[in-house]
Amino acid sequence: MASRVIRYVEGSSIVHTLDPRAKLTLVFSLILSATLAYSIPLVLPLLLASLAFYLAAKLPWSKVKSTWKIVATIILFLSLLNYLFVAVLFHPPEAPNAVSSEIFVRVFTPILKLLTVALAAITLVYTTPPNLYAPALGQMGLSYKAAYVIQLGLRYFPEYIEEMRRTLEAQMARGYRPRGGGNFIARILNLAPLVVPVTVSASLSIYDVADAMELRGFGESGCHTWLRKLKMSARDKAVVAVSLALLAAYVALYVARPL
Amino acid sequence: MRSSYRVSGGVAARKPLFSTTSIVAMGIGTALYAAFNVFFNLLQLPGTQLVALRPSVAIPMFFGYVFGPVVGFVSGFLGNVISDAISWGGFWWNWDVGNGLLGLIPGLAVYFVKGESKYSKQGLLICAVLAVVASIIGMGFAAFTDYIFGYGISTLEEAIYALFLPAAVTDAVNGAILTPMLVSAYASAARGRARRA
Repeated sequence: MASRVIRYVEGSSIVHTLDPRAKLTLVFSLILSATLAYSIPLVLPLLLASLAFYLAAKLPWSKVKSTWKIVATIILFLSLLNYLFVAVLFHPPEAPNAVSSEIFVRVFTPILKLLTVALAAITLVYTTPPNLYAPALGQMGLSYKAAYVIQLGLRYFPEYIEEMRRTLEAQMARGYRPRGGGNFIARILNLAPLVVPVTVSASLSIYDVADAMELRGFGESGCHTWLRKLKMSARDKAVVAVSLALLAAYVALYVARPL
Repeated sequence: MRSSYRVSGGVAARKPLFSTTSIVAMGIGTALYAAFNVFFNLLQLPGTQLVALRPSVAIPMFFGYVFGPVVGFVSGFLGNVISDAISWGGFWWNWDVGNGLLGLIPGLAVYFVKGESKYSKQGLLICAVLAVVASIIGMGFAAFTDYIFGYGISTLEEAIYALFLPAAVTDAVNGAILTPMLVSAYASAARGRARRA
């Protein structure tokens, strides 16, 4: 169960072997640049870069299929929604042929941005082992305590999914049946036997975990190192340089607006 | 005798913002919110019909109300980052911030509800009201930044009718019902334990 929700696929592609810090820098530059890109000619290069990044990871289709189903649903839904709102409901064109290209731009620019961000983020998530995020961010200058919050979150996340499943089965053995019918509020109240025990036991365990960490010296200053020491190769440094240059270019384009 | 003990205990219990307990509360809140999101949205469990929409929003609200605004914000923000990344590889910083606000705003109760009255009937009512306010502000932020930055949508009307209203209403109803329930269950479970927030 827990292994089913962790979306990391082992591999030996060029993207898998990149330093996680280089990957994080690249993905954040792509996402920020996509945010700043204000027209289709500016979004297209980013989309191509994301696509190249995704294809270089050589992810097996059988593993990413379920994710792409969700992305495709979101894209289809938003395209229809955009079309409905832009072209039909709120901005009816006076001369249909004259403004159709403008409608096309307004409907598809946001979708292309969404696809760019999705491609970059999917590649990062599928090629980076979850236990490397906190060391990577910690070694990028994030404070130890902040990085540790991420580490704790990723550490306990699969455990709580398992805990939810166990609690659900235990309650069902006592006769609890989550029902689909009834009104909205009854449906929410119906979840209490599942939601309350898991949340309360998790929040009471906070004190025990904090005690255990303090007994091992957590919170003392200046004595923490990371077990996984990351080293950047020349290739990783090149990726970081290119990412930062890309971001700088998009910031400059956004400020100057030559197009 | 008893009251003097309480007063001194109350003063000594004031913790620094980033104490180990807060750090762990942020981590556990993050994990729990992400797990609830994935559990209710993604997993199909045999023999059950868990069809309530986003009951998980009560988690950041609960952590914010009990452990303070910063813990609430981090739980909502990071929990949403993890569950989005797990479920489909998305990264939408503005929805993450919006989910963070869901936890931050109930946490503001710490400034006007003092000590034990947080868990009284009046406190629970304030908690429910703050959950509604948080849903409006948090989802409003997410929906309107989607429009401003052009993530997937391109009109203000879409931001209002297709994103803001459905998200804010479901989150407000879920939060207003489940959060006080969790807070009062937590208060009775923690009663008698030496250490609690």
